[in-house]
Amino acid sequence: MAPKSRKAANGSANPSGSTSGEKSPSKQAQVEGETAVLVDAATTHPGLNLAPSAMAREEVKVNNASATDMKHACDDALKRFLSRPELFKQIHTHTDVRLALGWASVLVSAGTGFYGYKVEFEKSKPVIWAGLILYILLTVAQALYAYFVEGDVVFVGKRKTFDKRIVTERITVSSKTIPSTPSAPCPSYALSLSYVRSASGGKTLLGKGRAGAERPHNAFFDAQGVMDQEGFERWVGGIVGRVMQGPSE
Amino acid sequence: MFADELKALRRLGFRHVLLQILNFASVLASGLMIWKGLGLITNTESPIVVVLSGSMEPAFYRGDLLFLTNPPNQRYEIGDITVYKVPGADIPIVHRVLETRDLVSNNKGMVAASPLAQEQLLLTKGDNNHIDDIELYQGLEWLERRHIIGKVRGFLPYVGYVTIAMNDFPQFKYALLGGLGLLALIQRE
Repeated sequence: MAPKSRKAANGSANPSGSTSGEKSPSKQAQVEGETAVLVDAATTHPGLNLAPSAMAREEVKVNNASATDMKHACDDALKRFLSRPELFKQIHTHTDVRLALGWASVLVSAGTGFYGYKVEFEKSKPVIWAGLILYILLTVAQALYAYFVEGDVVFVGKRKTFDKRIVTERITVSSKTIPSTPSAPCPSYALSLSYVRSASGGKTLLGKGRAGAERPHNAFFDAQGVMDQEGFERWVGGIVGRVMQGPSE
Repeated sequence: MFADELKALRRLGFRHVLLQILNFASVLASGLMIWKGLGLITNTESPIVVVLSGSMEPAFYRGDLLFLTNPPNQRYEIGDITVYKVPGADIPIVHRVLETRDLVSNNKGMVAASPLAQEQLLLTKGDNNHIDDIELYQGLEWLERRHIIGKVRGFLPYVGYVTIAMNDFPQFKYALLGGLGLLALIQRE
């Protein structure tokens, strides 16, 4: 436990290994700013604890030359952070729809293949046509759903609190990678959140918020590809706190 | 060797494992559906075959890949290269049509005028063989349309050796499948 948290703590104080000197003062200010938001958020929202978790975590090591690997690592860390019991409960609808459509198409194709194997060719043609068309429809539906409905969404979470009335909060997080440009040579991780707070079963809207932020990947991954999870969680916690404060009553 | 990936899988939960298995299964499913779709479009149960023997040299050598279609409205002419399967034999044979004959059906004293209305009978012979295929027909005198899988439309040389290798060395096939499966399970889109 101790060596791992030491590595994370080292990482948070000094994420970009080599250029330590000039980064630390601004980094410290950043950390302080983020913690201030967390404290604010905790006062307006009962039971909300956006600070990075104190318990030890497994080391996350990815290939830091691959932007997709780093994005996936950030997305996973985000999901782990926001799914904590005192934060949000993840709603798995997008994943479930994708799984249902995908597995349905696999089963349809398996059934069609098996039927074609058992029955001789001429007699099996109508059923195989039906199976093929059904498979194409399911695959196209899955692709359209993933592109239009799901889009960039990474996490959808819900939270219920009892504060004179039942308050339901819903947060949707999407992320994407901003590729590197000649002026910004490190690709960035862009996060955008959308937050809705309502009461009495969603009929009364209490507050809405939107926030977005981006950070280059070298803020979270060091030269070996080890992820600074605590720093990442602090950053995410700051943004979530900001969006939950937002323009609300 | 895969300790990192196994740890990651355990951390990500059951739905994620289902998604990864779905990745692999849907690659197989789409391959199967493309094969079936091709078979339906070309009207043959096996639109792509591999030449196993040298009986059609110098046109086709062992290891060539052949593309077949089976147009239902066309007659097979002399000189067409057909792939046929005699009932009772399990491997299809690629040979050229030598003779055709029509089985004229006498329906109430009248004969249908369209040439397609008659059942077609075929006799085949391999280019590199000295005698025709009567001995291969297992008792039949003529091949009927229903025995023919298709007519050769095009070919690719040498590509079929991959299939021959996978049939002769099944370990190679399982290793390839296993490698594909591992790759699909570990990679994330």
